[in-house]
Parts: sequence; structure tokens; C-alpha cells
Amino acid sequence: MTRWVMIVMAVVAAALVAAIVAWTRADIPTRQRLRIRVLDVTHSAGLGLPAHDREHMRERSGLSDISNVSCRNCHGESTNALPWNQPRPRHAAPGWLAFSRDGSRLYTSLPDRDEVVEIDVVGEQVLRRATVTGSPSGLALDPEEGALYVTCRNEDRVARIDVVSFAENGSVPVGMAPVGVACVRGPQGVQVVVANSRSDDVSLLSGEPLVERVRLAAGREPYGVGCTPDGSRAYVAGRLAVMSSLHRPPASELTVIDVHRGRVVARPRLESAHLSEASVVVPGRGWVLSPVVRVRNLVPITQVARGWVMSGGLAITDLAGDTVLQVPTDEANRYFADPGGLVVDAPGRRAYLVSAGSDAVTVLDLDRLSEWMAQADAATRAGAIHDLELACDYVVARIPTGRNPRQLALSPDGRRLVVAEYLEDTLRILDTDSLEVVGRIRLGNGGLDDPIRRGERVFTWAGRTFQGQFSCRSCHPDGHVDGLNYDFDGDGIGDNLLDNRSLLGLAGTWPFKWNGGNPSLKVQCGPRFAKVLMRTEPFDPQQLEDLTRFIESLPPARTRPAQDREWTPAQERGRRIFFATHTPAGEVIPIERRCTTCHPPPLYTNRSRTAVGTRGKRDPTDLFDTPHLLGIGASAPYLHDGRARTLEELWTVYQTNDLHGVSSYMSKQQLNDLVEFLKTL
Amino acid sequence: MKPPFLFVLAGWLPAALAGAAESPKSDARGQLAQVPFRVVERFENYRMEQGMPCHKIHAVLKTADDHLWVGTWEGLLERPGEGRPFRRYTTEDGLTHKMILSLAEDPRTGDVWVGTMRGLNRWSAGRATGYLQTDSGLPNNVVYSVDVVGDHVWVATAAGAGALHLKTGVWQIYDHNNAAMHEPWCYSIRGAGDRVLIGVWGGGIVEHDPVRATFKEYRDPDGDFHYDLVADDGPINDITSWIDWEDGILWQCTYFGFARYDGRRWRTWVEGKSPLPSNFTQFVRSHRRVAWIGTDLGLSITDGETWVNYFVDDQGNGSMAVHAAGRAAETAPMTTALANRFVLGIWVDDREAWLATSDGLSRAVLTPEPGRLSAGR
Repeated sequence: MTRWVMIVMAVVAAALVAAIVAWTRADIPTRQRLRIRVLDVTHSAGLGLPAHDREHMRERSGLSDISNVSCRNCHGESTNALPWNQPRPRHAAPGWLAFSRDGSRLYTSLPDRDEVVEIDVVGEQVLRRATVTGSPSGLALDPEEGALYVTCRNEDRVARIDVVSFAENGSVPVGMAPVGVACVRGPQGVQVVVANSRSDDVSLLSGEPLVERVRLAAGREPYGVGCTPDGSRAYVAGRLAVMSSLHRPPASELTVIDVHRGRVVARPRLESAHLSEASVVVPGRGWVLSPVVRVRNLVPITQVARGWVMSGGLAITDLAGDTVLQVPTDEANRYFADPGGLVVDAPGRRAYLVSAGSDAVTVLDLDRLSEWMAQADAATRAGAIHDLELACDYVVARIPTGRNPRQLALSPDGRRLVVAEYLEDTLRILDTDSLEVVGRIRLGNGGLDDPIRRGERVFTWAGRTFQGQFSCRSCHPDGHVDGLNYDFDGDGIGDNLLDNRSLLGLAGTWPFKWNGGNPSLKVQCGPRFAKVLMRTEPFDPQQLEDLTRFIESLPPARTRPAQDREWTPAQERGRRIFFATHTPAGEVIPIERRCTTCHPPPLYTNRSRTAVGTRGKRDPTDLFDTPHLLGIGASAPYLHDGRARTLEELWTVYQTNDLHGVSSYMSKQQLNDLVEFLKTL
Repeated sequence: MKPPFLFVLAGWLPAALAGAAESPKSDARGQLAQVPFRVVERFENYRMEQGMPCHKIHAVLKTADDHLWVGTWEGLLERPGEGRPFRRYTTEDGLTHKMILSLAEDPRTGDVWVGTMRGLNRWSAGRATGYLQTDSGLPNNVVYSVDVVGDHVWVATAAGAGALHLKTGVWQIYDHNNAAMHEPWCYSIRGAGDRVLIGVWGGGIVEHDPVRATFKEYRDPDGDFHYDLVADDGPINDITSWIDWEDGILWQCTYFGFARYDGRRWRTWVEGKSPLPSNFTQFVRSHRRVAWIGTDLGLSITDGETWVNYFVDDQGNGSMAVHAAGRAAETAPMTTALANRFVLGIWVDDREAWLATSDGLSRAVLTPEPGRLSAGR
């Protein structure tokens, strides 16, 4: 016994000596980190803190009771250590697709691998690979097949690949996060239409030379691009609803562009609909088809059992953009979540639509749809989207696919349909006559050994929602926001909206939910969530673990154009305002009202609930979770109920008595500077 | 203290000379003086009876696609082609305010930028996107003037000039705190080649070079707010109400006279001492080095040498006066007249001019060619 005591004492003594040596040799930041670790352990163990540390915690948290406050609320975090800053496996997930004119070659982008590959469709093998940096996404082949245009989402550019040498031979900067792209030939030569998803605009490029002609304002998050066969008109689907007032049903925009003149000529609204990721002109019918999600965010979200949260459909817009009809693609008790890629055959008789959340291709008979349209009166057409029995009239098949099909391509002869199964790393080839699988091209191994990839499979799967109505991605496209506020009935009233928060950059920013009630992502996404929101069985432990890993791997949203590398003077001035301890007049800003008190770097959150005077009429509390600010410039609207449409409104419209930071001293210039700084985070 | 006799002398001499030429005359054949620019052949008016929503028309613009845009006290009007009816847009259509103050076309996209009494709007294919001082970087909600220069939309507001970068969404504000600007009240803004000119109330004209981030002030050298003590010495007054620039010529409106600057030399005009009909010059639009000036007493057209003025009396009768170098002033009645004598906004090309007035919109059909005018139009 004595011997063991001696050993323990020796170890403790050695540890103490080592700690003292480390302490004396350490630099100041390291000492601080060590001290915080020690204090945190002491505090967590209930052993108390020195008086000045207790005072510091009270001062910084604004709480008199600090029993639930930890040093780690503000200290001890480094973004370098966060999961989204760690290297992760890169997968050969097929993104967008493009067929060659003779149908012998297929091109697909591999966004995660920074590659574009050329595939022999008959031989089912990859022929050539081209490196294209910046997450190559949308593809468009020049009709004369000299060039393949590729949007590079992370580098805000369009790359041109020479099809003969299969190497990049040109590049042009465009707006932020370009995704969809189309290429047409007209009187002015090659014209390329690019949907810039993050800057909400469309770039029109001329191909020879490759330059941007004009940049046009589009809807919110323009995504898919379709063109008329003669290239005179382009139709750009906006993925998110255009920002509107709080209690108004959302509506997204289909932007109609006169390509030759470089003008927007119409902006039809897709009412109560969003997440439109494609637009396709139907030959011979004068239609533009866009897949939509009909969202009902303003009624209590718990109406899942009644099929009252989301349903899928198609928006049918005339070529002039004057009229829009919406028809369902779901069935009354069977939903096909996250509609994405859409193609139509050359005669305009069949359409194929993928459901990325339900692993299916829906086959629509457009003759039947046209017949129904011809006989339906105006009232029937107006209410068609709510009639989930209607889809049976024109949906002729549902073809199962591998995990997470996102895009489609139809061979020029219309006989082969290729499905890009994103999370399988495969291309599935279907015969359009038999609707049978006739081939499969494996680009990668599916990544099932990668927990992040497995987590993405969970994240994008609607199978855990009652009747498959929606997936996590349905509200968090790309892990980000859908820009809507949802009516959760937590207060039992049902008209209290909550802003949908981004999952990007979420790692380390616990607790979760606007009330700060969930200490971890596993709790957030756990059984309660499944029962309350999804009305189904919860994820199993492994799925939950994988899902958490995936969410934590998502980096913050990029808010600055890729070309912007230097800080502007305005951003620098804004930084000084954010970190200010005194007003320009020399008055001390109370600690509890400084920006950095609640939003300390590096995560810009103190991971606590704070009262900043934003309580609404129906809110049960003044205290709300302090959101992190990483990528804040890209996640409008703001505040817990989404009442602030822009960052400026936080301080111009919804600031009360300087509770949300001291802003009353700021001039308009200073406020602009502060906003410019926030947009850099 | 200013010596009073100088005022008297400075005021009397040109007035006496001008007064000597005031008698209405046309020659025996009814011909007026040769005029080196196109002038008004007739007016066609649009008042409330013709579909205007109100009396006050503040701004007018014809875009490259031949659409006519009219900013009024009661909303924005669009006429989508000649002979087509006007459509009216108000706050229900997404505009931030019904009172329209200024209009400008983005030549690259065809979007129309609309300055209002409460905010700036981008009107694009039927969609209004608003920018307020509370939800964006707009300096102030009162947008007196707007212009599109390259990638930027520039605004003159009641609290400084602002520039919105159309590709990045970043706003810059220029006011008395960070620019050579005596006051923050900006009334007018205009792209001028690679520069931007800002008309400032109390600050004359500020020339901004965005590349070099420099500012240069043009101020009235005599510094007097009420009188132009020395003619042709610089801007006529620091109270700039509007400016325009084209082909190297800057024109300045003030409430105390009118001025022109060609990059080397200033010229100034005041009523009584020159053909300028009123010192209260509200608006100027230049076209091919000819200025169309809206005043509270009528319309003036001048290239700086020859002046043609259009008046309307209380009974609605129109008349014109031609002031040509070397000839006595000649006046003649017209069979048509401006909708109202107070002209608040102008748009002009080679064929026609549109005039926003205090009581309706006027279309001025122009003579096919410059040349000798006939009396009795």
C-alpha cells in the first residue's frame, strides 16, 4: 500500500514539475490556454474559482448565476482544430452530365475531385480526365463540340476545356459560386449562360473570345439554366425564394433572358415554391419545366402527418414567362423528395426527373399532361398542385436508383438515360424503352469507409421522414439555409416563426437551436427531433454518429468573391468597430454590450444564450442562443425569427436601446463598414 | 463689405444691353434667326385628362428599348412603346415609395434605377428591388439623382453620395466626412467619362476620380450665395441644383443662375443679364453639346451662344424667343405650349424631347434639322 502511495505521489510530483517547467517555458497564449484548461476543470468539478475569475465570467456572460457557464464558452477553441479544417477523403461523385452530339461520349464533372472526365458510354469506361480546379460543377458542350464549358463553383470562374486535347484552355471570372451553365450558338457566335448561385446573378459570356458580356440580376440563388433550341431565350431557375416579408408565402423566380440582347425580359414567380434546380424547354410545346418544392413554412411544421410541409411538383411556364402552372409529381401517401435534375426527350413527349432524397427517377408522359391541361378549367389548374392524386394521370413510372441521384442526361437519340448517383460514385444507364438498367459505370468506390460520406447519405435521405416527405437537405440545401422561416409549434400557438439556421461552420458552436436547448448535434438530430419533426423512427446510433460527422465537416459559407484577397479599407474600419471598447468620442462601451463579448473570435459566439432585446410578442423568453458569425453574410434573414432581412436591419430597424451592441453612436458610414467586416467572416 | 456700386454696375450694363434687344421681332418673311441646333416644332401634352395620375411629374426617361418611363408624385409610369398605354407602378408593385425623383438606365442590362423620396429601386423586367438606408448601405432614403457608371450605380442623396458596386453589392458613401464636400446634401450625380461629378448643395460641384480615389471641388470663386459678382469665373453658385455632362461639357443649374464648363473655361448666365429666362434653373439635360434647361419660368435650349426659350402664359398660350448672336431677340407665338412653365425633368434625343412639368408631361417634337425657324408655330 505504502509503495503504491509513493508511486502515485512520485507521479503527481513529476507532473507538477513538468507543468511548472512547461509553464515557465511557455509563451503567453499557451499559458493562457493552460490556465483556462485548469480553471475549466476546476470549475466543472465544482471546486470554485478565484473571485476575479468569477467576476470575469459574470461580466462577460451577463449572467449572475454562472453555474452553467464554462471557460470554454469563450476560450480554448481554435478553428485549426475543427473538423471542417481537417483533410478528408475526396470522392469521385459525379456531378453534372453532358452528352456528345453523336451520343458516344459522356462528360461528367467530379466536383469533389476537381476533375472532369470523358466516358465511353458504350464501353462503359473512363477515357480521359482533365483537372479543373475549384469544384467543377455545371457542364455545357458547345453545339459544334469544340469546347466544354465548366462552372467552377469554388473559384467563381468558368473554365473552357478543349474537347480535342481534353485540357483546360481558357477561363473567365464570373459571379460567385457559378453552378448551372448552358451554351448556345446564335448570330453573335457562341453564347454561354451561367447561373451564379451566391451572387444572385447571371453571367452572359461570349465564347470567342471568352469574356463576360453582361451580368444580369436574377432571382435568389440562380441554379439551373435551360435554353430554347435557337438559343434566343434562356430560363434560369432560382433555387431559393426571393426575399420577402416575414409572413408572406415564399416565391422563387424563373428569370427569362433574351440572350442576344443581353436583357432580362420576364421574371415569372413560382408561388409558394422553391428549391428549383433546373429549367428545361420542352420542344414543340412552348413550355419551360422547372422542378419545385411546394413549401408550407407558415403553417405549423408538425403537420408532416397530414402531408402539409413539403411536396414536389413541376412548374410549367410559357416561353414568354407570362403564365405559370404548377402540377404535382408526388402521390398522396408517397413523396419523392428533393427533385433535382430534369431532362426532356427531343420530341417533347417524355420528361425524366430525379428525386435526390428518394433515390428514384420519375418518368412523366407529357402527352397525358398536355391532355389534362387542355381539359382543365382555370380553377382546376390553379389548384392542381394540391391534388396529389393528379400525378397518377401523367407519371408512368418510378425507377429506383442508387443513393442520391442528382443529375440526368439523355442521349441525343433518346434511347439512353444516364443517372448520376452522387453518393454512389456511379453512373446508371437506363434504356428508355424498357426503363430497365442496362449499364453502370463505376467512378469510385462509394466511400462507405468514410464516416463523413456515410453521414452525407443520411443527410440527403428522405427515408427517415414520414412517407419520405423530405430530407435534412430539403431545408438545408448544401448544408446551408433555404432562406425561410418555419412555424414550429413549440409555444403551442403556431404562428411564431423561427429562422432556419445554416449548418455550415457549425462545428464547435454548441449549444444548438435558437433556445440553446440542445447541447450537442446528437441531441439536436436525435430521437426527439425524429418524433416531433419527422414523425418517424430516429436514426440509429451509427447513422447519428455519421450524420454528426458530416455536419461538422461542413466549412463556413464563403462570403467573399474568390478574386477578393485583400481587405478593403472599409472592412478594416469595420473590424476596428467590431473590436471597439470605446466609442469614437472616447466613451467606454460596457463590456456586456461589446460585439466581442457575445461574439468572440475565432467562432464569434460565446456559446451562450443572450438577451439582446429581440424578444417578439409570442416569444416565451428574452434569451436566445448567440449564433456564430462565420459565413454570416450569406445566411439572411437574421435574428431568431428571421425578421431582419439584411445585416443592416439588425441595427437600423430592430435595435432597441443599444442592447444588441452599442450602435447608436454609429454614422451610416460606420454601420456600412461594420457590415462589410461581418461579410468577411 | 461688398461695394454696392459694383452690384449696380455689374447688374445694369448687361441688363441694359439685353433689354435693348427685347423687343419681339421676326423679319418680313416671318423667319426667325438661324439656330444651329434642333428646336421644338410643337408640344403634345399629357395631363391628368390624358392619363397622368397627378399634376406633378418629376422625371422622365426613354430607354434604349423605346420604353418611356415617367416619375411622378403618384408612382412610376411605363409606356412600353409609342402609341401604347401607360402602366403605373406604386408601392404595391414593390417600389419603396410612390414619389419618384430620378431615373437612370443601366446601358448594359437595360435595368431602370429609380430614385424616390424613400429609397432607391432597381426595376428589372417588372421586378422592383428596393434599397433603403435601413436595409442596405444606401446613404439616405431621399434619392435626388441616380446614374449608372460602369459597374456602379451612383446616387445623390440628402446625406451624401453613394456608390453601389453591382457585382459585389458593396456600398461606398462619400460625404463631408471623407470627401471634398462642403455639405452632405447631394442633389445631382453624373458619370463623366472616367470621372463622377456630384452636384452639392452649398458645395458647388465635386469631381471624383474613382481610380485614384481623389476629389476635386469646383466652387464659386466669389463665394457669394446670392449674386454672381464676377461673370465667367467659375461655377455660378455653390447651391447646385442639377448638373449634366456630355462630350466634355459640364452644365450646372443653380437657383441663382446657370453655368457651363468645357474643361478650360467657365461661362455663366443670370436672368436679366442674359437670355436665361430665370435664375431658378431646376434641371439640365445635354445632348450633342446643347443644353436643355428646365426653369420655373419655362424651357431654354442653348449651345452657349444661341438661346431659344419657350414660355407659357397663364392662359396656356405658348411663345418662343430666339436669342442669336448679333441679332436682336426675336419672339413669336406658338400654336402649342408646354404643359406647365415649371420644368422639373427632361429627356431628349435627335427626334423628340420629353419634359416633366409641374402640371403634366410634355412631348416636344423637334425640327428635322437645325436651321431657320418660322414664326407662328
